[in-house]
Amino acid sequence: MPVGFVTRIISRAARRTSGMKLTTSSDNVRSNVAWPAAHRCEPWSRDADRDILETQTFGDGSALAVTTGMKTLALIVTLLATAPQAAAPTQTPVPEGTVIVSAEVTGFDIGRLSPGLRQEIRDLVGTPLSQDRLNELAARIEAERPGYVAAARAFTDPGGRVRVVFIVGRSTDRDREENVNARYVVEHVDITGVPESELTQALRDEVDALVGQRLDSDEANRLEARMEGELPRYDVRRRIRRGSEPGSIRLVYEATKREPPRWLRFEPSRTTVVYHSDQGWGSYLDLGIGWRDVRFTPIVAIDHGDDLIEDYSGFGLRFETRKMGTERLGASLEWTSFEQDWRGATLDALALDPAIPPPYEDRMTLTPLVRFAFSPELSVKAGVSISELDALPPAAGSMMANAAVASIDYDRPQEAASGSTHDVHASFGVRAGSRALESDLVYTRYLGRAWYQYGWGTHRVHVTAMAGGITGEAPLFERFALGDSTTLRGWDKFDISPAGGDRMFHSSVEYGYRGVGVFLDLGSVWDEADDPRVRASTGLSFRAGPAFVAVGFPLNTDNLTAVFMIGLRAGAGLRVQR
Amino acid sequence: MALVVVALVAGAAARASGQTLTASAAGDVLTIRVAGFDFLTGEPIGRLKDGRSVRVELAVTVLAEAGRSPVTTSRQTFALSYDLWEERFAVRTVSGRSQSISHLSQAAAEAWCVEQLAVPLRALGVLGRDRPFWLRLESRVPNADAAAEPDEGGGFTLQALIDALSRRRRSDSSTRALDAGPFRLGPRGGATPSPR
Repeated sequence: MPVGFVTRIISRAARRTSGMKLTTSSDNVRSNVAWPAAHRCEPWSRDADRDILETQTFGDGSALAVTTGMKTLALIVTLLATAPQAAAPTQTPVPEGTVIVSAEVTGFDIGRLSPGLRQEIRDLVGTPLSQDRLNELAARIEAERPGYVAAARAFTDPGGRVRVVFIVGRSTDRDREENVNARYVVEHVDITGVPESELTQALRDEVDALVGQRLDSDEANRLEARMEGELPRYDVRRRIRRGSEPGSIRLVYEATKREPPRWLRFEPSRTTVVYHSDQGWGSYLDLGIGWRDVRFTPIVAIDHGDDLIEDYSGFGLRFETRKMGTERLGASLEWTSFEQDWRGATLDALALDPAIPPPYEDRMTLTPLVRFAFSPELSVKAGVSISELDALPPAAGSMMANAAVASIDYDRPQEAASGSTHDVHASFGVRAGSRALESDLVYTRYLGRAWYQYGWGTHRVHVTAMAGGITGEAPLFERFALGDSTTLRGWDKFDISPAGGDRMFHSSVEYGYRGVGVFLDLGSVWDEADDPRVRASTGLSFRAGPAFVAVGFPLNTDNLTAVFMIGLRAGAGLRVQR
Repeated sequence: MALVVVALVAGAAARASGQTLTASAAGDVLTIRVAGFDFLTGEPIGRLKDGRSVRVELAVTVLAEAGRSPVTTSRQTFALSYDLWEERFAVRTVSGRSQSISHLSQAAAEAWCVEQLAVPLRALGVLGRDRPFWLRLESRVPNADAAAEPDEGGGFTLQALIDALSRRRRSDSSTRALDAGPFRLGPRGGATPSPR
């Protein structure tokens, strides 16, 4: 180790540390260091903390120093000056390739290293010196003991023999501080944008405790997070500003009020592109375009039949506003025009049951709705749904299916509590076809749905349940169906109830880890005149963003076949409209 | 003294939008220098001036040919901070061995970070001496303030789609890359630009 090099390092460091002077003499380094009290030169010990070995360079590039804080500087000097094996170090760097005669670790119990690493250090003896190799071993020491830092130094004794010392020291968070402002003392802490009285006294005390201390970024960040926790309606941002005197800083926590949650939400997207191995491809796309309070949503459906017993293609447009004078009141108007395709199984089933209204070739629907929010979570909507159904040839003419519609929705956004998340949605809706609305079909349809998801870390469990019933003579698009990409996965709805049913219940439990999930579906769809048969299915699913793949197997059947589903679905997976 | 600092044979390399990358061989490693490659811009600078630290990930990749798969890559993560009183930047390495430097201008801090990227010459294999090589320098400043989530009632909207697509662009705004080459190692190990 070049003594001049070390002394230049220390001298420069000493200049930056008030009260410290350094002199050297003779070929060997003889240090006479007047350390400040806090940096008094002490014998190295394993227990010595607050030492960090590092390469420190100053901006003017005039020195490349090896320091571990002042005590480690002293250690290096001490090693050079007093260690027997390092006696009389030469002024010149140790030549690469010189054979190493000894290798040891100081400042750390070598027994705490892995046997393999210990052996590799011992094996240095007798090998040519390679600084890269020494650096590699020092890095491995740090890797094995993350709380420590290590540096390798090679010394040449008067006999020209090379000795290697690995200097190991404990690192501390303060030493590892990434922020150069950590050396400044916090003069004052300001909290702006919110009355301090909105914070708990305990938090205010902790904030006040920062004053007079050097900046601790971790602690300041922790308090910033705590502040956000205590001020859920605010965003909190931390800044540092100069204090009134050099070396002092002001810590500023700026609280900015968040936009309150909206009272009404736009209609959730139903966008789905899905392939079902029994039912083929289908897609339904609704892409909202709009602003804060108003949205237009073009709708395009192509052979979509995932939610009904009909395959329909066509288009539509929905207009929504969620502020009509007040944010509690909104309205929507949806117009759609779909052309239907019917499966042979459905037509056969309809032929056998004349009580079910006939199939139709085209369905055009206009749905004006008014919405009102009791709270950001709870809202109701009401209106009418006017549908004209063109008869399927060879029949002619059309019939009206006009219904009053009303529903109540509960939608509670995700909430974080002790690292876990909860997501709850529930709704209950009624659609009633009535002569008073010039409807040819008179019926009442009820549907209740609930969706809950619990997540913790990368795990999630979601549970869905829904049940519905129809009385009267409901059009086919109102009839219930199960056995698609979200319900009774593993069953084909055209095997279960090709013409749908007027009674239905379904529940599903799915556990997911990261994108992979396992599910159990249970449900039944039937007509009031029949006995219900409960069906179950299970399978595996994988999700990546909106993309999903699932394989489902029917359980209580003799015909065990797999159903494969793949596609894209916007929104919250199983939380689909029916 | 066997620790020889190899004379740097500077090689001009690529000039793209005023950016210049220079490769040099020192000892048994290849180091690079760069001019005009500013990765501290925009929001990270704001955070630094607010007295916070910013992490920057730098990587230099050796390519056998432009656009081809990498031969070797050297990465390093740095923590930068801005001294509010001295109005100078400080840098500390986060990964690997601890190194730090302070009292730098912004350009000098950026340059110091780049200079810490060293590629072992042995990792180049036959490249450099028998065949030219290319270098790709990339910087990434992880965005600590994640983009705000879309409106909870928004669902799948055009705006959400635009947000989703532009998220990559936003990420790119804090990700920069500079390609340079071809290089060839000089007779003493220095890297010189190879005639195209």
